Amino acid sequence: MRRHQAQGPESYRESRGSHEKSALRPRTVVTGLGVVSALGVGVRQFWEAARAGRSGVSKLSAFESMPMEAFRSQVAGQVHDFSVGHYIDGPLAERVDRFAQFAMVATKEAVADSGLQLDREDPRRVGVMMGAGMGGMLIAEQEYHRVYENLKPNRVVPNFIPQVTLNSASGALAIMCGAKGPNVTISTACSSSAHAIGLAREAIRAGRADVVIASGADASIVPLTFAGFCSLRALSTTFNDSPARASRPFSRTRDGFVMGEGAGTLILESLDHARKRDAYIYAEVAGYAATNEAHHMVVPREDGLEIAHTMSMALRNARVRPAQVDYINAHATSTPIGDVVEIKAIRHVFRRRATQVAINATKSLLGHTLGAAGALAGIVCALTIDAGLIHPTLNYDDPDPDCALPGISARAQERPVGVALLNAFGFGSNNATVVFKRYLT
Amino acid sequence: MATDIDLALRVRSALAEYLKRDVTTIKPADALRNDLGLDSLTTIELLYRIEAEFNVEVPDADLPGLVTVADVTAYLQRRVTQA
Repeated sequence: MRRHQAQGPESYRESRGSHEKSALRPRTVVTGLGVVSALGVGVRQFWEAARAGRSGVSKLSAFESMPMEAFRSQVAGQVHDFSVGHYIDGPLAERVDRFAQFAMVATKEAVADSGLQLDREDPRRVGVMMGAGMGGMLIAEQEYHRVYENLKPNRVVPNFIPQVTLNSASGALAIMCGAKGPNVTISTACSSSAHAIGLAREAIRAGRADVVIASGADASIVPLTFAGFCSLRALSTTFNDSPARASRPFSRTRDGFVMGEGAGTLILESLDHARKRDAYIYAEVAGYAATNEAHHMVVPREDGLEIAHTMSMALRNARVRPAQVDYINAHATSTPIGDVVEIKAIRHVFRRRATQVAINATKSLLGHTLGAAGALAGIVCALTIDAGLIHPTLNYDDPDPDCALPGISARAQERPVGVALLNAFGFGSNNATVVFKRYLT
Repeated sequence: MATDIDLALRVRSALAEYLKRDVTTIKPADALRNDLGLDSLTTIELLYRIEAEFNVEVPDADLPGLVTVADVTAYLQRRVTQA
């Protein structure tokens, strides 16, 4: 990874549209990254595997006593052999659900990577924006069992509610980091942590924080949730015997997404704050848009116009023209409808540029990590800008003519990336786009 | 029926296991909160374990009386005897 130091003046004058006055607003930069993924714990392991195009998807092994043949889908992007005590000492990490443990481990790495000495920061100027789609599903299943099967409601563990709540992770991050600033958990299913990045930037731009920990996590590969996605006919079922081939965005033979789990954390900081401490800057978070299609709880609008609108809004917010975009980290879950709609939207926004922009699908490597997906995609955007390398889209060996674009490749692409777009869409008709830029003074 | 000494040791052992401490460091006079460092939630978690260990249910009304290790032992002694 290349690393360069922040230099130059802090602020720039920004016109925010005819209805708003020009204002000096802090720019937001990414100064630290942390990953817990099916491709490894740690950014280095993750990125090396991603560059090499390795799959993190394997035969499902998480359900110890369940007859796996009863599940239509039998593959998942699991984080194997994870023990939080290996990474974090102390009782707090042991007393939270697996998804929050993932968030804590990713955040510990990201803080260390940023070089921040959090004990020297004003704690009220350090915030947390956390995306989580499902929350503490592991503890939820365990305790449902006690109540409904064992009929022992008085034997539900006392620490159940503090673990199952969606904001348990953002609370644990605040306690771990001593972060007393704005602390919000965003739950918009699969787009949750893309919003976490966008809202972290907005907190910094609004002057409410100097540093915001933007994180996303989910660990819901548990029988009930998995069965629920199976029942929804959302998961891949035809590659149960060849797991690494199951997540195949944009491929003609894609047949649903692969469930994943993990966490990603980005340290976002005002440029001024990063410069003062001479921090390394991966990229700038330059724009963000959040919309809702108001259309359907699960299925996107087939014409892709609302997704196109979301991307256009984010580009305007970043003051970037479509022709300046070099790379799109697509939502691309490998579902038959979703991938086509996203490409339709990309064609609509980018016109001729759609044939030149590089596009990849991180879910081809990890499966769909739900609430972590946006943060992990944001990390990929930062690393892609930093390294000038676009990781392969796995299994793009039989392109669907309705999705095919020249910028999608089963091989790694080396090219400089000045502007990157992150797309993330969630159940409930929810859309998010985040724009990253190479940091230039 | 367990003797007082057996029961006291079982209570201290349950505490030691929960707190990941040597059982010899836990004294009957230790206050659960002030001496052993339990907070309101971890005190309840400890009682949850003790309920399972001694097969009793501790009603909410009895909680305020359980301040020290000795209180817990005496309480369980009464409950086990009643049973």
